[in-house]
Amino acid sequence: MIKAFWLLFLLCMFPLWTYAQNVTVKGTVGDDGGPLIGATVKVKGSSAGSVTDMDGKYSIQATPKQTLVFSYLGYETKEIVVGTKKVINVNLSQDQKILNEVVVVGYGQMKRSDVTGSVVSVNEKAIQRSVPTSIDQVLQGRAAGVQIQANSGTPGANTSIRIRGINSLNATNQPIFVIDGVVVEPGGVDTSDPLSSNNPLASINPSDIVSMDVLKDASAAAIYGSRASNGVIMITTRRGKVGEATITYDGYVGWQEQAKKLDMMDLKQYATHHNARAENGIVAASSSFVNVDALGDGTDWQEALFRRALMTSHNLSITGGNTSSTYAISGGYLNQDGIAVGSGYKRLTLRGSTDAQIKKWLKGSLDFSLTDSKQVVGANNDIIMNALESQPSVAVKSADGSYDGPDDVWMPVNAIALTNMRENYNKKTNFRANSSLEATIIKGLTFKTEISADYNNNKFYYYEPNYKFGVLSNNTRTGKWTKTDTKYWSWRNILTYINTFNNVHNVNFMIGQEMNHSHWENQASTATGFLSNSVHDISAGDVSSSTGTGTQVDNSLFSYFGRAFYSYADRYLVTATLRRDGSSRFAEGHRWGWFPSAALAWRVSNEPFMKSTTNVIDNLKLRFGYGSTGNQNLSDWAYMSLLASKSTPWGTGVLTANNANPDLKWESTDSYNIGLDLNMFHNRIEFIFDWYYKKTRNLLLQIPLPAYLGSSGNGAASNPWANVGSMRNSGIEMTLNTVNIDKNNFQWRSNIVFSLNRNKVLSLDTNSSSIDKTFQVGSDVSTVTRTTVGHPIGQFWGYKVIGRFEKAEDFYYKDANGNVKTVALPEGSSIAKDKTWIGDYIFEDVNGDGKINNEDETFIGNPLPKFTYGIGNTFTYKGFELTIFISGSYGNDVINYNRRFLEDVRSNSNLLTSASNYAKLGYIDETLTGAAKDDYRNLYVLNASSSILPRLSASSTNANNRMSDLYVEDGSYIRLQNISLGYTLPKNLVRRMKLENVKFYMNLQNVYTWTKYGGFDPEVGSMYGDALMTGLDYGRYPSPRIYTFGLNVSF
Amino acid sequence: MKTKILFIAALLGTGMMTTSCSGDFLNQQNTTNLNQDTFFDSDEAVSEATSTLYNYVWNSFNGKLYYSMGDGRSNNITAQWSSYIKVYTNFNETSLSDGLQEGWASLYSVVAQSNNVINNIKYKSSSGVSESAKTQGIAEARFMRGVAYWYLASLWGNVILYENTSSLVNNYVVPTNSRADVMEFSIRDLEYAAKYLPEVSSVAGRVNRYSAFGILSRIYLSMAGLTTDGQYDGKNVATDFNRGIRNTYYLDLARKAAEKVIDGSSFKLMTSYGSLFKIANNNCSEDMFQLQWLKGSTDAIGWGCNQDISSFFGWSTMVSDGTNWGGATCCSWDLFNEYETGDLRKHESVAAYGDSYADINVKGGGYTYGVTESASTNGANIKKYVVGTHDDNGVSYKQSSGINTHMLRLSEVYLNLAEAILGNSESTTDAEALKYFNAVRTRAGLDTKASISYEDLRHERRMEFAFEGLYWYDLVNRAYYKQQEVVNYLNNQNRNRTYKYNSDKGTYVASENAGTGVATATASNLLLPYSDADQNKNSYLKSNSTPAAYSFGAREVDESTLFE
Repeated sequence: MIKAFWLLFLLCMFPLWTYAQNVTVKGTVGDDGGPLIGATVKVKGSSAGSVTDMDGKYSIQATPKQTLVFSYLGYETKEIVVGTKKVINVNLSQDQKILNEVVVVGYGQMKRSDVTGSVVSVNEKAIQRSVPTSIDQVLQGRAAGVQIQANSGTPGANTSIRIRGINSLNATNQPIFVIDGVVVEPGGVDTSDPLSSNNPLASINPSDIVSMDVLKDASAAAIYGSRASNGVIMITTRRGKVGEATITYDGYVGWQEQAKKLDMMDLKQYATHHNARAENGIVAASSSFVNVDALGDGTDWQEALFRRALMTSHNLSITGGNTSSTYAISGGYLNQDGIAVGSGYKRLTLRGSTDAQIKKWLKGSLDFSLTDSKQVVGANNDIIMNALESQPSVAVKSADGSYDGPDDVWMPVNAIALTNMRENYNKKTNFRANSSLEATIIKGLTFKTEISADYNNNKFYYYEPNYKFGVLSNNTRTGKWTKTDTKYWSWRNILTYINTFNNVHNVNFMIGQEMNHSHWENQASTATGFLSNSVHDISAGDVSSSTGTGTQVDNSLFSYFGRAFYSYADRYLVTATLRRDGSSRFAEGHRWGWFPSAALAWRVSNEPFMKSTTNVIDNLKLRFGYGSTGNQNLSDWAYMSLLASKSTPWGTGVLTANNANPDLKWESTDSYNIGLDLNMFHNRIEFIFDWYYKKTRNLLLQIPLPAYLGSSGNGAASNPWANVGSMRNSGIEMTLNTVNIDKNNFQWRSNIVFSLNRNKVLSLDTNSSSIDKTFQVGSDVSTVTRTTVGHPIGQFWGYKVIGRFEKAEDFYYKDANGNVKTVALPEGSSIAKDKTWIGDYIFEDVNGDGKINNEDETFIGNPLPKFTYGIGNTFTYKGFELTIFISGSYGNDVINYNRRFLEDVRSNSNLLTSASNYAKLGYIDETLTGAAKDDYRNLYVLNASSSILPRLSASSTNANNRMSDLYVEDGSYIRLQNISLGYTLPKNLVRRMKLENVKFYMNLQNVYTWTKYGGFDPEVGSMYGDALMTGLDYGRYPSPRIYTFGLNVSF
Repeated sequence: MKTKILFIAALLGTGMMTTSCSGDFLNQQNTTNLNQDTFFDSDEAVSEATSTLYNYVWNSFNGKLYYSMGDGRSNNITAQWSSYIKVYTNFNETSLSDGLQEGWASLYSVVAQSNNVINNIKYKSSSGVSESAKTQGIAEARFMRGVAYWYLASLWGNVILYENTSSLVNNYVVPTNSRADVMEFSIRDLEYAAKYLPEVSSVAGRVNRYSAFGILSRIYLSMAGLTTDGQYDGKNVATDFNRGIRNTYYLDLARKAAEKVIDGSSFKLMTSYGSLFKIANNNCSEDMFQLQWLKGSTDAIGWGCNQDISSFFGWSTMVSDGTNWGGATCCSWDLFNEYETGDLRKHESVAAYGDSYADINVKGGGYTYGVTESASTNGANIKKYVVGTHDDNGVSYKQSSGINTHMLRLSEVYLNLAEAILGNSESTTDAEALKYFNAVRTRAGLDTKASISYEDLRHERRMEFAFEGLYWYDLVNRAYYKQQEVVNYLNNQNRNRTYKYNSDKGTYVASENAGTGVATATASNLLLPYSDADQNKNSYLKSNSTPAAYSFGAREVDESTLFE
């Protein structure tokens, strides 16, 4: 019924009457499964056309000399001369010619066979199989050279996307996304948010996407010059097709759960440990822990915080059109609760696109999309650490139903209470519109003008209630609203000439100009003085204590670009591009940059001498490319010295806001690529290989100045941006797609993706010639990574633990000459109970100067993987499809920074159970008394063989839990990322139900991870989205395991 | 066909036109921040640039270093469980200790921003700024920088001197300068301030030239210990730290500077000691330099201009808003016992069992320590800077109590004067010294003394300025010429000893055991290590590197004419 309505609707909207000749041809169009609905039948060389009905039937007027063209999306087109036939039944076969796939390149499209650069594509099927909530998840392990890591498991959170390694030292190493030709800025990573829970890609509904093409090498990406140095991901969304409307519903329900639990102490274990600490004078003894056996298990804070969380998704799309206009409309809804209490994500999307042939020589298009989302971020990483560190002796709720709290002000606040009572969420609305007109001036020469706009309205709501949980309390009720609007527009004018001469000379020239402008503004208001916790709007607070601030920033980019493609006889292909960009982010004189590229390809398989191999080799192509790309990801106004307005008791004052650098210029990357494409045995085997070398110069970085330049604290000026040096990335990528078995309706396909990247810093212009990143937890500030010449970036930096003083002899060693020497102790320390003692760690004296100090810090780990891979296997039998997808990473280290605190045997907060296995000291001679008994020569570690942790010391200058290799763990993993099982009902059955396609599917995501890593999840990503803080795990929201069940229906 | 040509021509035309104005398209306006190149166009602009040097830049210093060094390290405070006080009290500090990097950074944020102000005034001022405003503005910024460098020299010894922050940004790996050079740098800054600051503060709370003289009386006393004789010339640095005498040249200057304040300024002692620690008496007649904090909740005023010491000292939500970390931050047993009977300052500085405060818990009829709520089991809590809740005073919020931080009070200048007059003598009966020394004692409700020794001064200073972040520097100053005496003193202070109220005896009783975890102090503990993080960035901060000589320019202010 609905179908009939749509048909009627279509007929009314797009009347499509063909003018008559003398014959009416009728027939049925179908495939092996039965009739095809909505297949197009056209008379070649005329505008006359028809569409098959619900039974696959058509009727069309044609002369006997004319040819009918039968086409259907995803099928090979067939042409049949009418002749004397009155009935023409056609059976279309599915299109296997992937080489004729169209690849989206910058400001245009190309046949895959014509591509000279390195481009990897992910199609709709891969997207459907992985049931993603955000499109970036699809790329993980599916595209060679693209490394994806979720920075957090929070619903709607950001991911680190690295194409061919880390190219840039500054925070935004993200590629740019080009959605249907419009660049979408990855958005400034919010450096105040260690989780980077703000993901602009989360606003795009994955089911609207038809394909993603990743432009990896510079010869492909250079056309986006100024912003392309981190790579470009082109996203193509669904557009209308000529034919009867197709309506598709896709929906799923699912749930998520915590994939791994840390082994924290229960109350008995905690009490035992507390008593041991009291005996050693670290803490006052507690009367409640006198009888440990009488205690229960206490509160399991992980159990309290994490839950089984539901998710649902519904998507509806309608596509259709006639020969003069096509349309696509879709709507989607996603509701995902987070596995931690107080987190969740909701998203509504609506998009539409229309294409129209306005005149014979003029085409137009109009697209829009609207996204409305709400992300609840109550469970930030403070909350996760809070829950882990909370003592099991504290209840979530007291007997009277009120929230409980610790009796020690240094202990974390009740995490469950805070996430429940505190309001912390954001709402985002995104509206994107894109319109274009394309005129054909003469055959092959087109002029396209396109205007795009992108509006974002982000609002952040926060309310802190007054509370009293144990001794921790807050008297001030505070509400805060932050509103950030961005407006981005761009205008492009592109002239394209495509032609073929003498059947062998193919040319494709493009020249264009583009202007981009973005505007950012922010307003924040805060109020206190709320009369109760029940109403939270700012106006409910006390006006006299409310404050408001606001800021606007504009920046612009102006560009010229061009591309020339030429191919001879489909054998020799050459592409050259040139781009020139000007950016407002640099001072005058440093604004403009040139970004050229060139690439050659040789389709060996098309050479005459390869004729004899055509049965074996379908395609053999060699590719060579060079390109230069740029990066301008730095703060606006970094080149100018600014003053910040500050309130003082005497009115507004000013403070220097930043250290300026007027000489800032473009960061640029030169890259070289050699590639090979090989298709064999009728495309049963596809093999793609690429080798690349990239050199980035004038690296942009906000220099982390030493503290003695006044670089930290509330009154500090922000650190300067500078061009600091150069860096190299080189690597290889391999993709192997095979059809292993294809007979008797059974098909087994595999795809294997392998990426290997090596990074090295070549030079740094800063005088210290190294860049150190520190991380602060409470009052502890430790250097965690060092970036220096000759090493890969962001290497873990710290001390090396080489043992433990387990007996008095361990303090001494014999040197080469047989002289007895004291083992190096930390500077200022000596053998004493309050300094270094039996049971303390021995650190490696790297420089051999006989003392442990700063100079003994060294490289202790590498967060960059040796290689990453993805292995997918798809089995299909009739309507069944089973996909098993494995992704993995090998050879990367992770700092389990949580353990510095959760395994600190002296700490009063709750600890991992492993912390109870500290070094216990015993007397060699129990009979001694006084000082002789407590002398270190009378002490030894009782449990030396079974423990690794240090002793319980009241105080120690040995700093056992300093940043050391003890916290560096092997982060290699193999993850069973997806198991998805789908069943498509037989076509003939479905078509009898007047439907086109019905598919049921179930999917398990993040099924199991094989790893040695001891934290929640070895996939850690980057802290603050900062490339130099990769692999640092501190309270990261763990990625959940997800089970989904879904249904896909189209008609 | 015609429409097609027209249409395409029009499109191409606009495309071309836009390209010609690309230059303008790339020019953007900053509508949020003032530009430092154009801001300094009036005398008001100068005073707006110096107003932030009284708060934001000192915020991190105030939050921890002020008391963790001034009082924690000198054992006025026992904080059993505080990672950023205890290690310093117990001499367990290392280059990795909590709070070390923050403390070092906090003083340098004063230096860096003061430098920015000085250079902006010097090089960016337009003709709209009067010469007198320029010198006054520079003098005010140099006052701040000089004070910060005095702290740095006292705590770390050899540190990095610099006058232009932006020039060092591109080249920050530079050697340290010697402690005496840093002290001289600090003196020159404050002498400049003493000469060019106004006679009377332009607004309550701003420093004037007598504030500078007051600070000078303190720094000259430090320099007197660091040098042998005569004006510092880079060579006359004392090398015998146990020689027992100080440079009379600087003792004399300290006396002159103090007298300048006493004779010339309008600063007066408050009649009651307790009134100094009331929010209402911010910038009172006795305060020569205070950090100026905004009043209001941090949600309203933001971070950086808030007074948070009260949260670090406050022991419960009845005495200070919000979360209070001071429950186990107590007056040390050593200090607790040093108060003379009848010293009125004890009640204002330390909250011990039975002490009543009418202005705290006003609604509940006042607060009696140990009775209204149970007392700490670690010792008597710190009362100074604990000023009650919003309900009591109408001003305080969580981590923003609104009381100013004392940096220099007139009573210190009185005691500096007495110390300068005492000089290298064992004791003095000098009438002038006695007059001002006894003025401080009288206000505290104590008997006057007829003769003053170093020990009398040490005691008086400790009592007068307990928890005002000064006592460690008194000990450091003494260690410049009596090092072993100070080291011995530090090792006999009963550090980290807990004590609690014994209701049977009606007194406080110390725990049986000596404080745990206390290392034996040596001369090396008189200096702090450089933080590990900064050593990583500058190898000159490694322990074995020698300082470079600072090249001072010509002396801008003549010490012989400054006191005329």
